Amino acid sequence: MVDVEVRDLTITYASGGYVVRPVDRLNLRIASGELALLLGASGSGKTTLLSAMAAILRPASGSIRVGDTEVTGLRGPALTGYRRHRVGVVFQTFNLVPSLTALDNVQAPLWAAGMPARQARARAQALLDRVGLRERLGHRPGDLSGGQQQRVAIARALAHDPPLILADEPTAHLDYIQVEGVLRLLRDLAEPGRIVVVATHDERLLPLADRTVQLSPAAAGASRPPERLQLQPGQAVFRQGDRSELVYTVEEGEVEVVRERADGGLELLALLGPGRYFGELGPLFGLQRSATARAVGPAVVTGYAPRDFRELVGSGRVAETIRQASP
Amino acid sequence: MWRVALRDLQWRRRRFVIAVLAASLVFGMTLLMTGFSTSLHNEGRRIVAALGADAWLVADGAPGPFTTSTPIPAADADRVAALPGVTRADPVVILHSTVRRPAVRDVNIIGARPGGLGTPPLAGGRAVAGAGEAVADTELGLRLGDRLELGGRRLEVVGLAERVTWYFGTPTLFLALEDAQAVAFGRQPLATAVLTRGVPGVPAPGLELVSNEQAVTDLERPLVRGTQSIDLISGLLWLVAAGIIGSIVYLSVLERLRELAVFKAVGASNRSLLAGLALQAVLLSATAAVLAVGIAELLAPVFPFSVEIPALAFPRLVVAAMLVGLAASAVGLRRAVAVQPALAFGGP
Repeated sequence: MVDVEVRDLTITYASGGYVVRPVDRLNLRIASGELALLLGASGSGKTTLLSAMAAILRPASGSIRVGDTEVTGLRGPALTGYRRHRVGVVFQTFNLVPSLTALDNVQAPLWAAGMPARQARARAQALLDRVGLRERLGHRPGDLSGGQQQRVAIARALAHDPPLILADEPTAHLDYIQVEGVLRLLRDLAEPGRIVVVATHDERLLPLADRTVQLSPAAAGASRPPERLQLQPGQAVFRQGDRSELVYTVEEGEVEVVRERADGGLELLALLGPGRYFGELGPLFGLQRSATARAVGPAVVTGYAPRDFRELVGSGRVAETIRQASP
Repeated sequence: MWRVALRDLQWRRRRFVIAVLAASLVFGMTLLMTGFSTSLHNEGRRIVAALGADAWLVADGAPGPFTTSTPIPAADADRVAALPGVTRADPVVILHSTVRRPAVRDVNIIGARPGGLGTPPLAGGRAVAGAGEAVADTELGLRLGDRLELGGRRLEVVGLAERVTWYFGTPTLFLALEDAQAVAFGRQPLATAVLTRGVPGVPAPGLELVSNEQAVTDLERPLVRGTQSIDLISGLLWLVAAGIIGSIVYLSVLERLRELAVFKAVGASNRSLLAGLALQAVLLSATAAVLAVGIAELLAPVFPFSVEIPALAFPRLVVAAMLVGLAASAVGLRRAVAVQPALAFGGP
């Protein structure tokens, strides 16, 4: 039996000159035979997490264990072996090779692994038969519908019969008729001995899942009592990449808002004194913090739940607040 | 992964065909350039061999028999004939002139004693027996019995010789020594060189010994810049061909970045992907080279000068083209290595 266990996983990378931390101290466990749904808005780290599970992206810290394999520590032939035999990926927009027929697209990973041609052909035919494309073996991707291309992509992911299947937005480019077939196929794949992880922003897929992982922080949550924080000089209210929960007002002292650049430098975005708000956008829209807020000297700030913040400033002023917002 | 590379070539066959045609034209040009260069070299060797000498003697300090401007007495040949190691010695006059046929044509002139050294192998007719007769290179288009005028002297063509040209295919007229002396020296009994059968064992005072090899070098000296230019153009053409192949491979890599990323993500090794791309470059180059052979053969007769492409040049071209193709695709291959598999997860 193969389980997937993600422990304290943090992934950072540079984007647009700034450091981005789409996955921050994530913990997750998926049991064999389960279909797990990674749910979240664009930029919430779904694809990043899939990339790390596919051993394509190396995390900053934490671990991903697939069965007995510690994925984050793989190098060289062991890494190639994992990508070939332990994980199958259904990429967004199918990513089929346009010059290859459906049969060749499924055979390609088998060729890459050095499987004899006849054996590879038989295996690919069986897989395409399984996904209902027996009649389309010789068709190129351009001659197939979106749903058919997605099924070829699923057959390709199954080429080496891996215990872990990762599907990135598998319904994003399909109409509802095609979606039905693809969902049924993905559901059927989650059987004992195999795990299917689907990254999507489409909440209609929820009934499909045995387990759901919400990667976006919930936007504009419930009311809660204000949190008053006494800050020492340099102490952070929140850090870039953190999940957003509260909107803050400066009561005493000064707070600076800085953004961490990919080259290690810091960019000062705002210096805020008493009466100013900061950190509005993250909690209002369910985004992660795009900058770090920290006290310049001794300071006091109060945190409000987004709903309370709206009441505080008045709903008509929220748009104005957003225009002037600090990260 | 070679199957993927071949399928990709099929898929992009129109571009492949265009690239092959362009590269083959360039490779064809390099073959023709090789042919020009070889012809220049061969015709020098041929004319020297045709004169049947073992050695040459020219005025002391003269650069060689074909470019000397210092005549020697023709009678020196008798002095040379008496030297040890020499069984025969004959004076020759070598010069450059023109004839009207009916347009003016450049000709090389070699005047020699009838029956002596300096008479070429004949393709028809007979050798020059005396004044007023000439053996003409077939390149001049003359027939036996034709008459022509040279420096005011009327000559009758009595014999024909083949492939006795030099200086970019300029044909040669073989005359009696006295006719050549009349044209070159106003009838004075002078010569430009003495040809010998056997090699003199001792130096001849006032004369300098020149081997056949040195005579060829002397003949080729004025052409050195020309042959160097041809070689330079040939090198540039190789660069153009490399540019064509390199660009095609690089473009192919750029278009296939996502595809390469997917292959890497499913566990294809860099080596196997590079082998596929290299295979494409080699196939493109080899096909272009084979086509170039046909193009060169087709175009060679069009040139107003014999283009002698050595047989070895053809297989050499194919092998060199494949190596150039591989080298040219290096930039594309490097780009392919740099492709990150994470790109496969990118959106549309």
